[in-house]
Amino acid sequence: MKVLAVCGMGLGSSLILKMNIEKAMEEEGIKGTVEVRDLSSIQGERADFIFASEEIAAKIEHNAEVYSVKNMTDKKEIKEKILEASQRGEN
Amino acid sequence: MGAVKLILDLLKTDNIKVKVKANNWKEVVEKAGKLLKDADYVEEEYIKAMKDAIIDNGPYVVIGKGIALLHARPEDGVKKMGMSLVTLKEAVEFGNKNNDPVKIAFAFCAEDNKKHINAIADLSQVLMEEDSVNKIAAMKSSEEIIDYIKSSVEKNQ
Repeated sequence: MKVLAVCGMGLGSSLILKMNIEKAMEEEGIKGTVEVRDLSSIQGERADFIFASEEIAAKIEHNAEVYSVKNMTDKKEIKEKILEASQRGEN
Repeated sequence: MGAVKLILDLLKTDNIKVKVKANNWKEVVEKAGKLLKDADYVEEEYIKAMKDAIIDNGPYVVIGKGIALLHARPEDGVKKMGMSLVTLKEAVEFGNKNNDPVKIAFAFCAEDNKKHINAIADLSQVLMEEDSVNKIAAMKSSEEIIDYIKSSVEKNQ
C-alpha cells in the first residue's frame, strides 16, 4: 500500500511521521511505501492512505482515506492506525 | 555541502539554551530562532517565517506531548543547515489541544528537503523514547542534553 505523510511544508512533522509509520509497518510486517508531501502537492496523487496531524488532516480533500494523528511521537497510536489502515487495504 | 548530517553534527551545545523564560508561543519561536540566527544559520526573516507558518497552518508543530518542532522553508532565509533547542522554565501553550503545553522546542533550518532527513530521524528516535521530553526538560545544562541525545541515538543504532 502507498501512504502519504503530509504536513504544511513536507519538511518537519511529516518526516517524523513517515519514520514512525515505517517503523510500525516494519514491526508489523506490513508491506508498502511511505512518502512525505506538503499539503499543496497531494492533489491528484494516487495513494491508499494519508496520514497527517489533526489540523492538517482537516484541510485535506482527497480520494484516499485520511487518518489524523494526535501525537506523532506516540508509537502506540501510529501502530494502531497503520494496522487499521492495512486491514482495510486488504478488503 | 552535500553530506547528510546527523543530529549531533547540527545540534551543538552553543545552540541549546536551558530553562528559558517565555511568556507565549511567539517568544518561544523567537528564542529558538535567535539561536539559529546567532549561529549564522539563518537571516532574521527566517524567525518571522517560522511564526507565520504556525499562524497559517495551526499549532500542529506541537508534534508530540510537550514537544514543538519549529521550522520554515529553505527559501525563507537559510544560510546553512542547523538546529537549535530551547527548554522552557515554564511550559507554554501553543493552542494544540492534544499535546500542549510545550516544554521543549527544537527549531531547524534546512537547505533543501533531503539533507536534514537523517538528523530528523535521529531526533525522532530520541523523542520516541519513554519520558524523553520530561527528562530533557529537567536537564540543567546543554552538555547534559547532548550526552543524553548521544546515548539515545547510539542505543538505537
